[in-house]
Amino acid sequence: MLAVRGGELDALGELFERHHGPLFGFLVKLTGQHAAAEDLTQTVFQRMLKYRHTYRDDGSFTAWMYHLARRCAADHFRRTQSAPAATDPSDLQAFVDEAPHAAVRAAQRDDHALLHSALQQLDRADREVLLLSRFQELSFAEISGILECSAGAAKVRAHRALQQLRTVYFRLQKKPIA
Amino acid sequence: MNCHRVRDSLPTLLDRRTAAAVPAEVQAHVAGCADCQREWEELRVTLTHLDDLPVTAPSSRLRRNFHAMLAAEKRREAATAVAPVPAATRRGRSHWLLPLAGGALLALGFLLGQRAGLPARASDDRGTQQELAALRQQMGRQQDQLAKMTTLVTYSLLQQQQHPANERLQQLLADARQEQPSERTLDTVIGALTLDPNVNIRLRAIEALYPHAERELVRAGVRAALPREQHPLVQLELIEFVTLTQDRGAVPLLERMSANDRADPAVRDAALLALARF
Ligand SMILES: [Zn+2]
Repeated sequence: MLAVRGGELDALGELFERHHGPLFGFLVKLTGQHAAAEDLTQTVFQRMLKYRHTYRDDGSFTAWMYHLARRCAADHFRRTQSAPAATDPSDLQAFVDEAPHAAVRAAQRDDHALLHSALQQLDRADREVLLLSRFQELSFAEISGILECSAGAAKVRAHRALQQLRTVYFRLQKKPIA
Repeated sequence: MNCHRVRDSLPTLLDRRTAAAVPAEVQAHVAGCADCQREWEELRVTLTHLDDLPVTAPSSRLRRNFHAMLAAEKRREAATAVAPVPAATRRGRSHWLLPLAGGALLALGFLLGQRAGLPARASDDRGTQQELAALRQQMGRQQDQLAKMTTLVTYSLLQQQQHPANERLQQLLADARQEQPSERTLDTVIGALTLDPNVNIRLRAIEALYPHAERELVRAGVRAALPREQHPLVQLELIEFVTLTQDRGAVPLLERMSANDRADPAVRDAALLALARF
């Protein structure tokens, strides 16, 4: 990113290759929407370009990226004013397509679909902190920078969000399938 | 060690970053308590399933769009690749008075008032003194309004002269990191946004103001910065700020920007787009 800041814009291409996958994964789980996550991923890289002069080398690039991502997602949620949007069935389909064996597929589909929908039932703030703490190799110090709170608060919020998710997930599992 | 307290610390125990901080007696309790064990198991399963959620890949559209965006930025960069104008001339004495309008002009008036209250400094040249005097006279009748504009001007020109950009940036960041900044702190950040000659500092200031965008003080500051800002990069950020925060007070300013032939085309477009989003 330092190279990008220095004017070598092509260096952003490398960053894109290395980071867009995980970033997209984060955004798809945060928004529950495939298309929106793609747009947001694009917007994050757009903002990196725009904000490149403000990048400082004293923090991790990943933390900065998720900081921008969170901003973009907040904008998205403000625009769509969403109570968690109804999950697009094709999104769920996408989750199961990669299951390796047909035999385990049904069970996995249930688990994945249920967890996916449990995730979408959390408060956005809970979902955000949980995803950041789980999917990314970030320290709580970095997460606290992204969320603009103290490291202690980030840790407590992440752990509380996990308990929330567990509650919703197990409740959904016990619900008989209609 | 009761079950309630043990359960509170189960997520901490399941997180490899924090597990070491959990007292051994918690683990001992979990080992011997069926209820807590079930709780532990549920959390563990939830985490495992969460980690196992397959990662979906984005469509090829994303990569295509990214490269189109990068190419466009490179073209724009090449088109505007004039040497950066040194801050001293870009906001030279008489030059930087020109873009001031409305509230910002009042703010400046107040600022000059402040400045006049300080002992004369050796670095003040005569030209500046005369300019200040003239401007102050012009402003004389607006004292009341000026007093109300204190919000914008704690960041003085003197600060710019005395502290190098790096030091100002550090100060700005320190100010912005506070969770509940005082009005005074926000004043300083807004002051940096409206008055600092350094583009990076102005961009940083905008970023720092986002968490406090609900405060009228912040909105007013950004509105005041909008018409006087000359750098396209900062202009774009300001437009984005008023759009994201849905500050309707900025609509007339955006209309003026979108119609301004001398503004950067990207800025005009952004202003138009922003208007469409209100
Ligand atoms: Zn127990």
